[in-house]
Amino acid sequence: MSSSFLLYLLRRALWTVPTLLLVAVLVFVLMRLIPGDPAQLILGDAGTAEQLADLRAQFGLDKPILVQFGLWLSHMASGDFGHSLSSGEAVLPLLLERFQVSAAIVLVAVGAATLLAVPAGLFAAWKQNSLTDTVIVAGATFFLSIPSFWLGLLLLLFVGLKLGWVPVVGYVTFSQDWRAAASYLVLPVITLTLIEMGVLTRMARSSAIETLRLEYVTHARAKGLSELRVLLRHVLPNAFAPTWTLIGLVLGNLLGGIAVLETVFTLPGLGRLLVDAIFARDYPVVQGCLLFTAGIYVLVNLVVDLFYPLFDPRVATS
Amino acid sequence: METRRKNAARPLARLLTATFTLAACLALGAPALHAQPAQDTLRIRLNADIRSTDPGINRDANTDAVVSHIVEGLVAFREDTTVGPLLAQSVTTSPDGLTYTFALRPGLRFHNGAPLTADDVVFSWHRYMTPANNWRCLSEFDGRGQAKVLKVEAKDPLTVVYTLDRPSALFLETLARPDCGGAGVYHRSSVGPDGKWREPVGTGPFKLAEWKRGQYIDLVRNPDYAALPGKRDGNTGNKTAEVARVRFVVIPDVAASKAALLSGGVDLIFDVEDNDLPEYRRHPELVMQSMPTMSLNGLLFQTRDPLLKDVRIRRALALTLDVPEMVDALTEGTAQPNRSVIPRASPFYGRAQSGMPGRDIAAARKLLAEAGYRGQTIKILATKRYNSLFDMAVLTQAMASEAGLKVDVEVLDWATMLDRYNRGDYQAMAFTYSARLDASLSYEMIIGPKDRQPRKVWDTPEAIRLLGNSMNTTDRAQRQAMFDSLDARLLEDVPAVFFYSEMRTSAARDYVKGYKGWPMGQPRAWGVSLARR
Amino acid sequence: MKLRTNALIGGLLVATVTAMALLSVIWTPYNPLRLNLRMRLKPPGNLHWLGTDEFGRDILSRLLAGAGASLLVAALTVLVALLLGTLLGLIAGYFRGRIDRVMMVFNDALLAFPGILLALGIMVVTGANKYGIVLALGLAYTPTVVRLVRGTVLSLREKEYVEASRVIGNSELVTMLRHILPNCAAPLMVLGTSMFGWVVLAESALSFLGLGVPPPAPTWGNMLSSGRPYIESAAWLGIAPGVCIALTLLGINLLGDALRDWLDPRMEPR
Repeated sequence: MSSSFLLYLLRRALWTVPTLLLVAVLVFVLMRLIPGDPAQLILGDAGTAEQLADLRAQFGLDKPILVQFGLWLSHMASGDFGHSLSSGEAVLPLLLERFQVSAAIVLVAVGAATLLAVPAGLFAAWKQNSLTDTVIVAGATFFLSIPSFWLGLLLLLFVGLKLGWVPVVGYVTFSQDWRAAASYLVLPVITLTLIEMGVLTRMARSSAIETLRLEYVTHARAKGLSELRVLLRHVLPNAFAPTWTLIGLVLGNLLGGIAVLETVFTLPGLGRLLVDAIFARDYPVVQGCLLFTAGIYVLVNLVVDLFYPLFDPRVATS
Repeated sequence: METRRKNAARPLARLLTATFTLAACLALGAPALHAQPAQDTLRIRLNADIRSTDPGINRDANTDAVVSHIVEGLVAFREDTTVGPLLAQSVTTSPDGLTYTFALRPGLRFHNGAPLTADDVVFSWHRYMTPANNWRCLSEFDGRGQAKVLKVEAKDPLTVVYTLDRPSALFLETLARPDCGGAGVYHRSSVGPDGKWREPVGTGPFKLAEWKRGQYIDLVRNPDYAALPGKRDGNTGNKTAEVARVRFVVIPDVAASKAALLSGGVDLIFDVEDNDLPEYRRHPELVMQSMPTMSLNGLLFQTRDPLLKDVRIRRALALTLDVPEMVDALTEGTAQPNRSVIPRASPFYGRAQSGMPGRDIAAARKLLAEAGYRGQTIKILATKRYNSLFDMAVLTQAMASEAGLKVDVEVLDWATMLDRYNRGDYQAMAFTYSARLDASLSYEMIIGPKDRQPRKVWDTPEAIRLLGNSMNTTDRAQRQAMFDSLDARLLEDVPAVFFYSEMRTSAARDYVKGYKGWPMGQPRAWGVSLARR
Repeated sequence: MKLRTNALIGGLLVATVTAMALLSVIWTPYNPLRLNLRMRLKPPGNLHWLGTDEFGRDILSRLLAGAGASLLVAALTVLVALLLGTLLGLIAGYFRGRIDRVMMVFNDALLAFPGILLALGIMVVTGANKYGIVLALGLAYTPTVVRLVRGTVLSLREKEYVEASRVIGNSELVTMLRHILPNCAAPLMVLGTSMFGWVVLAESALSFLGLGVPPPAPTWGNMLSSGRPYIESAAWLGIAPGVCIALTLLGINLLGDALRDWLDPRMEPR
């Protein structure tokens, strides 16, 4: 890897700081602009004006907004993400706990989807315009057209309820009972895998087609290499590059968008935590969650950029 | 060609087979999903973890429910929602209403064996009244509320005297309120030497055994509990614990809790969703029980709105509603319709409160014509958070349209709704009021001067006057007369249309004996036993 | 061959859905808003071909009406995102330097914001109505358009014909508008069709979470969401709208594919 590339990465890493800071400001401001406040929610309609004032003071909501932001930022810098206003739990451990659930699903699903999609895409590209190709593309297009939560609901209905193969509700942590925990994750993982496979297969296929047209592939074939060799040694790495970028985007976005799937399968994941916290105006949780998710998104994209030269040697040398 | 295709396909096929085999193994090999605890443990589902074990401080409804099993106060609510003595043997009020003398029951002991004395009452009280502790009901007693508590003293080891700065009909009730922690009395060892809360050392029928955060709270029977004679009576009465252990299991998701009940993972869900009832009813091994609560659901109007300030339009809208049919649809036939602000479970609910004007589209049309209604849209705010409120708005829209009223439903999230409610910023709103434990408080939730309290719905001078009077006297007959008068005016002025009080339905396995819900709503694990086969 | 099949099937599906939407304006079997509490949750039958929902409303009628709502929201959203994104992308690409850097920081921040939160936040302020959703989702997808346009602008700036335009004496702005912008059209069209699909999905996801076009007006998304509690007892509530969404998206995606094949990148830019 050239030093200019490393420098480029370093600069990219540095630029994430203002981005994250901006996210922090946006979240902070947005949450406080939204009508409704957590003290009101906790007290409900029966709260008196005095109780409301007391509770707001307790939460520090009566201070000027800049002061609140400064306090929050300084606490975050020392690792104190604050406490949930709804439940009183400490935010950071809560985030990490929930993240484990979401991450387990997302990583396994995207991993499985990649393992299935890339070969499928390659295969379809190799057999371009044949019946096999059409079937694969049709299948992929179909899966990316389905609303994820609908697919999840259907799987839940048929596989879970009607057939009873897997449990449909509930969750236990891996530390409690790893086999039960895994069984709760089967359906959501399958749902997500199917959906992501659609996107990834198409991308893998289209970049494989492009690569197959390139001259050095023809050259390799002319040299007498077996078709499989050509596929694996020359086409795969280059076709994988754009797919790899897509994986980065998908991973980064998924953590935010997985809320719906977690709602369907009633899993205590990060997505649901965020949505519930927004509805509960639980400022510390929303702020912490957002920053956490944004940080992950930025990190994932950075890692993707780091590994990109592996798949596209042209980048590293440019 | 053939061989090449097979070469590519084979590893793929192998991968797929492996994945599915793994999944199947996991599914089939999954052990029992809910470990069965020891016998004689009553497992009750909570929809969220409790916030603390410190009564009245850092609390929510679930916290109150659990803590009321461990800690007891001087007075508590009876089954009929009046206030009765609990730790006190008797309460005497001075003629001027300023002094309350509580005589404690002799021989009571805390969980750690120490005797309950007046000093402990004073200790707990001082802790409540310390602002830094954030007692939820601090503002009720420090002068910002009804009456200020000037001093609390231990006259002798079994007598505590409270002195107020002015009389208040609601003093004892506020002490007994679960959201105030019932002003529970605990031993000073509940607080550590650093002043931080350690654990509740109370006098209740159960002791705290273990709190596994996010998962469950275990209570064990207090073998030395000195129960009051007689039967179970609300939060007072005979609270003898008949099970050895109670486990409050935290299952936030409704569908998960349903599955747990059906599979035997929990024994009791004390608050099931109405739309799950048909399914529960199909299971013979479950026993369902419905109890009215002291909450209230209804349609609020903004009487300062340019369109709705004309009482004829409000009356017309009310006349288009078939309340009994609506309530039947909204609650799956479990709740009874109620047009009064006073819930059916209240001792003040009588004949005057049970008026149920019928639907009259013709009369509605006449009123609208008189008022010169030209088809302006009335917007009802609703929320999806409480399905019954949303359904209520949709049904209102449909029924009102039959008289020519144009109604739109706007859906907001609950936090925004509450905000709009508090500011009075709406034309009409489908709203749910949480439980009010006294008829005056029921009326107080809708009556008040809008200039100072924008959330109040009704601000005619007569209503305000009647309400104020009802709070200053303790004579029952007089108060009933005032409430009757208010109810009559409610149906005439129509600042709001009320429909019903929520029914709380519990579902329990058939081996749970003796469980009974009550109008205050919280689950009570005393007096409940498990008859295992 | 491939192009034709994609375009054919895609076009057919999209045309069917559009026809549904148009038809619903003049006629539906029943009034989609009419309640009938006595006919709640009836399975598909002679009276109601697709059954009734929890208020006794005819599902088929609601499906037709929902087609229009879902398509309208999606179309408007894509329009907002494309217009706003193109404008911002052009500005960033044109000015470069510090302005571009600052804009990219904002853009990345917006991208890192989960769309759901953004949409929730905006809609809670604007209220759950069509315009709130269009604004919210439009804003959520603008960064993607900005990235695309900016990238195209940056890569085309240095091409020969662009240099030529400058040499003739055209101002930078005219060069951009006359030579660079048209070349964004092709990728924008492709992105637009994909985005249409994402928006339909996002709208249904938002409804599922409790926001979205407010009932009782039907959209496929809120029909799916209201059908969820009844998935066991009355599965038909959820199946019909889901199938509609899936088929519409399939049509859009196939059309998008056909479009992309037709605009094969090896075509020379103007």
